[in-house]
Amino acid sequence: MADDAALAARLAARDAGALREMIARHAGALNRIAYRMVGDAHEAEDIVQEACLRLWDHAPRLAQRHPAGTPAGGALRLSGWLKRVVTNLAIDRLRAARRLSGDDVPERADDAPLADSLIAAAQRDAGTRALVLALPERQRAAIVLTYYEELPNAEAAEAMDMNIKAFESLLHRARASLRLAFTAQGEQP
Amino acid sequence: MSRAGHDDGAPITPGSPLARALDDFAVPDLTAGFAEKVLAAAEVRPAPLPELRRSGAGRATGWRLGRRIAIGVVGFSALATAAAATGLLERVGLPVPSAGKVWASITGTPPASVPAPASAPLVAAPADPAPATLAPVRIDGPIDTPEELGEAFRRIDEVRQGRSELRRQQIEARITREKERRAAAGLPLPTPEEEARIRQRLEAARLRREGELAERIEARREELRARIESGEALTREDIVRPLREDQRALQQQGRLERMRQMSPEQRREALRQLPPEQRRALREAWQERRAQRLGEQAPAPLPQADTAPAPEAEPPR
Repeated sequence: MADDAALAARLAARDAGALREMIARHAGALNRIAYRMVGDAHEAEDIVQEACLRLWDHAPRLAQRHPAGTPAGGALRLSGWLKRVVTNLAIDRLRAARRLSGDDVPERADDAPLADSLIAAAQRDAGTRALVLALPERQRAAIVLTYYEELPNAEAAEAMDMNIKAFESLLHRARASLRLAFTAQGEQP
Repeated sequence: MSRAGHDDGAPITPGSPLARALDDFAVPDLTAGFAEKVLAAAEVRPAPLPELRRSGAGRATGWRLGRRIAIGVVGFSALATAAAATGLLERVGLPVPSAGKVWASITGTPPASVPAPASAPLVAAPADPAPATLAPVRIDGPIDTPEELGEAFRRIDEVRQGRSELRRQQIEARITREKERRAAAGLPLPTPEEEARIRQRLEAARLRREGELAERIEARREELRARIESGEALTREDIVRPLREDQRALQQQGRLERMRQMSPEQRREALRQLPPEQRRALREAWQERRAQRLGEQAPAPLPQADTAPAPEAEPPR
């Protein structure tokens, strides 16, 4: 997006309108990634908010390194930057939750706030969510970014700070795990 | 993970049962007022910490890079020196050359041998860490074979060669200093032809001195060889004493040369400062040389330390 550098410059100038514009433009996609990663709406919203605030903090540096109207500015992709932050935050929270609970993350979903809505959703798509949320966090991120967000492998690899070959290997394993789990539910992939 | 000809890692085909199941994973919307909440949090968020002071995307440049390199080099040198000094390198099998070996590798002369064990004959390597060719010759134990005597002579010659080279360097340095002093004082410098003549005279004097000394040494060596052949065992003193006498002769000759360069007043004062036996030896040496020069004429009296010299009594210039 060509005007990302200009938006970064406005954020660096502490323009609240720019922050609102950035949220309107990117928050929906970020929420989808976060929610499908952690399976918890409230926690997903926290992750998106933290990512937005980190962009607010880093805007001066981004604007300095990617001045508007320059080739470096044209190369700035705020969506990619935000998706990387959200993916990493989600993975960090999943790992922290696993360390604290000693249990699988999906089991904790019902204890979270907004449990009523989650239960209702769970009754509707419990099988599907279980499929995705049962994946190891990095495999889950690979599926979320490529299948749900339809990112090209290169962009998804960048969002996960991986080289393309390693990411493709991870994605291959993620799809295989998903099919195995789907088959285990008695379905035919 | 492959089932009967299927690639389980293949992309998920749209419309397949798996894809339909995945598509059921709905995502709730963000709560209303999410943007306002973020804006409010941004308002009260503390300012981020300043970026680490790194220029050039983390790469050190200019003085910073130079300082790091200098610190690294000094640190490595200190560690290497400490390791060599404590013998750590030798314990882990890394050879550490001695100063003598390094000097020998530079000058191309064979290094001084390792100090001989107790049963080894006679001539031990100098323990002095100074350059091998300049170290004093140490002779321990009797010398009773021509081979041992030859080895002793060889080592003595090495030392002589080193001292001769050192003297030559000192003369060069003195010439350079004198030229610099004259240039700084605005005095005329010798032309290249004059300088060449001076150097030629100096070289001739050096060769003459060394030739005389070599003759005396060779005569003594013949005497020593004869003593060995007659079955006599030589001690360290038998060999070193003549060297010391030669050394004294050289020192005396140097003193005479210096005195020749002095004014009469300076010469008188210098004589007064010498111990009586040296003054006497110097006088005799001067008289001897003068007699040689004058063709066996009667020697003129050497200026006495406490009397002004007569004009004809000055050493020839």
